[in-house]
Amino acid sequence: MAYHLLQRDRGGAQGLSDALAHALQTIRHCNKCNTFTEDDVCARCMSTHRDPSLLCVVETPVDMNMMEQTLSYRGLYYVLMGKISPLDGVSARSLGLDRLLARALDGVIKEVVLATNYTNEGEATAHYIAAMLRPKGVTVTRIARGVPVGGELEYVDSGTLAQALRERKTCLG
Amino acid sequence: MNLRSKVDGQPAYVLHTYPFRETSLIVEVFSRDFGRMALLARGARRPRSAIRGLLMAFQPLEIGWAGKGEVLTLMKAEWQGGQPLLAGEALFCGYYLNELLINLLPREDAHERLFASYAHMLGRLADDPAGKVREADLRSFEKALLQELGYGLTLNHDSAGLPIDPEAFYTYRMEQGPVRLEHDEAAAQVFIGQTLLDLAAEDFANPRSRHESKALMRTLMAYYLAGKELETRRIFKELQEL
Ligand SMILES: [Zn+2]
Repeated sequence: MAYHLLQRDRGGAQGLSDALAHALQTIRHCNKCNTFTEDDVCARCMSTHRDPSLLCVVETPVDMNMMEQTLSYRGLYYVLMGKISPLDGVSARSLGLDRLLARALDGVIKEVVLATNYTNEGEATAHYIAAMLRPKGVTVTRIARGVPVGGELEYVDSGTLAQALRERKTCLG
Repeated sequence: MNLRSKVDGQPAYVLHTYPFRETSLIVEVFSRDFGRMALLARGARRPRSAIRGLLMAFQPLEIGWAGKGEVLTLMKAEWQGGQPLLAGEALFCGYYLNELLINLLPREDAHERLFASYAHMLGRLADDPAGKVREADLRSFEKALLQELGYGLTLNHDSAGLPIDPEAFYTYRMEQGPVRLEHDEAAAQVFIGQTLLDLAAEDFANPRSRHESKALMRTLMAYYLAGKELETRRIFKELQEL
């Protein structure tokens, strides 16, 4: 992309460069949810229309946007900006999970919803956070996994289908 | 034509993946017939890549690759199924196994027996829905690993060639094996004979044997890792200190 801009669109390159410089100077992490913001606390965390007793933990700001698009979640967020990955040397400490601990123990939060990815690293991160929060009396839940909505079994990958089978539920009513 | 240059239907596990260029991955695998290999998975980081979700550690795969010279390209990966994803402590234990293999196993060196023992161990880890780890499984894998690497353990007789006395005390020296300690003789690490015999028989019913076997294995691993500290051990410690 850099080469393309330099060759064909030097004006665009300048614009991009200015935008990046501006972002580098003004963007920081929200004191409450850790996502990128230009303020100390982002607009979402300031909102009075959200349920402050629910905290959803996601790996990235993109994941947070995906959760928002469900229009089904009205609580607050914590964005990890990464995940525990032992073989890449990313530990709980380097991920700064102590800040999440402090956030979750603000006295208002009752439930922490773990929405990290269903990869080994996402699962390791979820396990660690659950082990960290459970003894402190916070309810910890994990988003379910299974067959996608509108997904026909014929086209679902075998791993997902196998896991959905293992985590089957009793039909109530 | 080189045997390794075109392979198909090879049982393998992903040990780790590293991002490569914009959209690709370098995949470290442990394959049954070729041992540890580094394969290039082109485009595997593209959002719609068919192979993306498959290249997960701890899952049994069948893979195919092709290539000339140094770089081999992953052509195919098929999920073999039947094994739940690792959870809880078992997941961290899985990372430990992978870190050991990445650090101790030379590349492109076949270890069929170790492959079988690794597959068996992952099956055991996946079996427990609570993700609990049996120490005995870990010890037996560590033993198999040392054996396969040619660092076999001496556990049935001491450095003088005498059978291990279950009631006597020993220390373990790398080149000599168990060295019997005389009365009141001190050593950095002391094991009772019973521990060595139990470790040889992989019988960990006795808490003392369990405890001392773990200490001995840790010393051996540290020796062969030549001072490299394992990330997984650090994280395990953080987890236990919670
Ligand atoms: Zn915020």
